[in-house]
Amino acid sequence: MSAITLQNVTKKFPPSTVAADDISLSIDAGTFTVLLGLSGSGKSTLLRLINGLHTPTSGSVTVLGTEVGTARRSQLRQVRRDIGMVFQQFHLVGSMSTLENVCTGALGSLRGPRIGLFSYPKAVRQRALEQLDRVGLADQRFQRADTLSGGQQQRVAVARALVQQPKVLLADEPVASLDPESSHQVMSLIAQIAREDQLTVVCSLHQVELAMHWGDRIIGLRQGKKVMDEPAANVTSEDAMSIYGSMASARPAPPETAAV
Amino acid sequence: MTTLTRERADTRAVPAGGGARPQLTDRRTLRPPSARALLGLAIMGSFVAGGIWSLIELRVNIASLIVGYENAVNFFTNRVGALQLPPLGELAQMTVMTLAIVICATALGMVLSLILGLLAATNTCRHAPVRAVARVIVIVMRAVPELIMAIIFIRVFGFGAAAVAGILALGLNSIGMLGKFYTEAIEDHDDGPRQALETGGSVRLQQIFGATLPGIMPAVVAHGLHRFDINLRASVILGYVGLPGLGMELSSALGVGNYSLGIGLALVILGICIAAELLSGFLRMKLLGRSEPSRFGFFWLVGKMRRRYDANRLEAPSGARPAAWGERTTPPWNGERTSRFTYIGLFGLVILASVWLADIDWIAFFHGLLSIPAVAGQFIPPSDGGIAERLWTTLLETIQMGLAATFLGALLALPVGVLAARNVAPNRAVVQFFRTLIVVTRGVPELILAIILIVIMGMGAVAGVLALAVGAMGLLSKLVADSIEETDIRVQQAIATGGAARTQVFFASTVRQAAPAIVAHLFYQLDVNIRAATLLGIVGAGGVGYYLLNANRVLQFEVVTYICLMIVGVILLLEFITSVMRRLLR
Ligand SMILES: Nc1ncnc2c1ncn2[C@@H]1O[C@H](COP(=O)(O)OP(=O)(O)OP(=O)(O)O)[C@@H](O)[C@H]1O
Ligand SMILES: [Mg+2]
Repeated sequence: MSAITLQNVTKKFPPSTVAADDISLSIDAGTFTVLLGLSGSGKSTLLRLINGLHTPTSGSVTVLGTEVGTARRSQLRQVRRDIGMVFQQFHLVGSMSTLENVCTGALGSLRGPRIGLFSYPKAVRQRALEQLDRVGLADQRFQRADTLSGGQQQRVAVARALVQQPKVLLADEPVASLDPESSHQVMSLIAQIAREDQLTVVCSLHQVELAMHWGDRIIGLRQGKKVMDEPAANVTSEDAMSIYGSMASARPAPPETAAV
Repeated sequence: MTTLTRERADTRAVPAGGGARPQLTDRRTLRPPSARALLGLAIMGSFVAGGIWSLIELRVNIASLIVGYENAVNFFTNRVGALQLPPLGELAQMTVMTLAIVICATALGMVLSLILGLLAATNTCRHAPVRAVARVIVIVMRAVPELIMAIIFIRVFGFGAAAVAGILALGLNSIGMLGKFYTEAIEDHDDGPRQALETGGSVRLQQIFGATLPGIMPAVVAHGLHRFDINLRASVILGYVGLPGLGMELSSALGVGNYSLGIGLALVILGICIAAELLSGFLRMKLLGRSEPSRFGFFWLVGKMRRRYDANRLEAPSGARPAAWGERTTPPWNGERTSRFTYIGLFGLVILASVWLADIDWIAFFHGLLSIPAVAGQFIPPSDGGIAERLWTTLLETIQMGLAATFLGALLALPVGVLAARNVAPNRAVVQFFRTLIVVTRGVPELILAIILIVIMGMGAVAGVLALAVGAMGLLSKLVADSIEETDIRVQQAIATGGAARTQVFFASTVRQAAPAIVAHLFYQLDVNIRAATLLGIVGAGGVGYYLLNANRVLQFEVVTYICLMIVGVILLLEFITSVMRRLLR
């Protein structure tokens, strides 16, 4: 069964960037898909199209039966409750406790504004604590989020996404700002949880090895175009490298190091 | 289509401790509030309680507003005839005098502040004791109200050289603000270029002139222009203690009950203040390029249009090196450099002209310097003049005015500021409307407004609080809007992706992100308002300022010192509370 469907989706940014160029794909429920591509190839754009942060210039994006691009605000909220998202820079509220950060993930299913941990229902706080325990940070529940290490912060962000009990988990370069050790920890956490909760995962990465290790399916992007779409088992390192364009054989440096 | 490759999935490494995690035993999701949180809440709570209590005590309520309105109507129908102005020549002369004094004072303040700033910044001064002394000077200059400085200096230099006294009072008081800003500007300024010169073997002064100063100059001038506006407004109040110019004329007109002339003059001053603010905003924009001035006011609107224009212009290919550069070692005189030098030249001329026009009596000045020890003797020891109880009650009234005005101002500023923030307001039209409202409110000089309100409404404290509240609203709502716009919008988006509604995102994230800055601004505003309330006593708004003026009139300078110490004490206490609050919020 297909959880996410894109039909001829194009996204243009003024004046002349085409960040997604006529992309069609269908992602089955319960699979782990990796988006692979250079910086600027359109990975984030694609993920943001899926949860309606961007609306497509043309084409349609359907997630769990709802067309996201044209949905009304209330419909969009409804479908977003089923889509969790994790970002490269974690995006936690630094001055809030870890637990309260996780609780904010449940806002979509609550009515009315909340401010402060005590304003969330007990059931939500318990659920948040369980997710926090799942990512191994129950002991840090009252610690300020900005006092945690990068890897820990990303695990909190994962817990925040899980608290909304999503069916789809989008992850935009979740490990790009982490060291290899934490990267492995976070990736395996996501993979494990995805399996336990039968989540549909779409995760963008820029390291070929990680993509081949964790993905069921690899989608390659270059300048907004889909240039590869294969089950991971069929993909060789050389194939994966070819996504990076003309420097097919050379190992592309990750963008961060290239910029230094 | 993809097929899920089970075998592969199963061979993936499962994280250590995945299944072996111990059962979660401690299931607490709330904890008793920490001492920090309690202290913070207590301070905020007393601020709110104090604000409400002050409003009640000072009788700022609907009934007083109605009485005030009736008084105003009565005032205009019975006591003021047609508005009256002094002859044009005289008016021009007074205006020039006021402007000259304020320009000299601001220039003096900028130079002294820059020196102190260089001595107080960690990256330009290596000697910790020197830095400490410089910082203490800045704090003291900030704490002593300009009015008291003016009283002291007029005593020292005599009424004949009151202009000098005013220049010194405003100039030294400017150090309190500019010194702090300049220190921060120097410390925040990228230190790389200076270090590069240092490794090149140059001496410290060369490094400062070669790298640090050029880098911070735009900020230095921008803050200076901002201070010019503040000094201009304060100079009017100093007229009440003998500083020549428009303020003195206003105070004597009101003093003899010539209200048609008084109100006429007040309106002229209002116009000059607004014109000056527009001009200084324009100059700041010229100096700093287009991004900074949007933080200041009216020229945000103009700046916006300019940015659009420049964006269009940038389309054209640029960056090619002109062939005609040849052997030049100075930049070519293109439009920008010419206009920059024109501005610098103009500034210099204006300052020179001001020194000349301020009519400084140099002989009286040096005589004054010699008389400092004798005059100092008149101010010590501090004495309560036998009216200690009155003084403390009126000091309390001054504090109440500050609290009430800040509370009222904040009440208005919070919604206005939120709706003026681009990342929160529902749409652009709302932002435009509230930003414009802020700009207009900011243009009104609250001290002048207070003088007018007190004269026409006739009730000291109520009119004073209202005027200060308007000023507080203008400044605070701008600061609130800016603080909200500075929050990391991606954090808010991250929460919105979970399906949270706009209001939920606002309270769960935006408020929490902006709160520290907003609370800090709130206390800054309280500080500003308490200072202003002291000044307002002089024009009849109640509070301790009245006794200050009185003591000065009857030459009880020990009492002036006593009141000065009281005020400085309050301000330092407030500064302490503010710093505690900042630390709690971090
Ligand atoms: N909001 C936007 N406005 C204008 N252009 C945008 C916007 N978002 C993305 N783009 C452009 O779209 C293209 C694709 O960007 P995107 O962020 O999707 O790439 P990415 O693959 O995620 O890169 P990275 O690995 O650096 O995160 C880029 O050229 C980018 O400049
Ligand atoms: Mg990206």
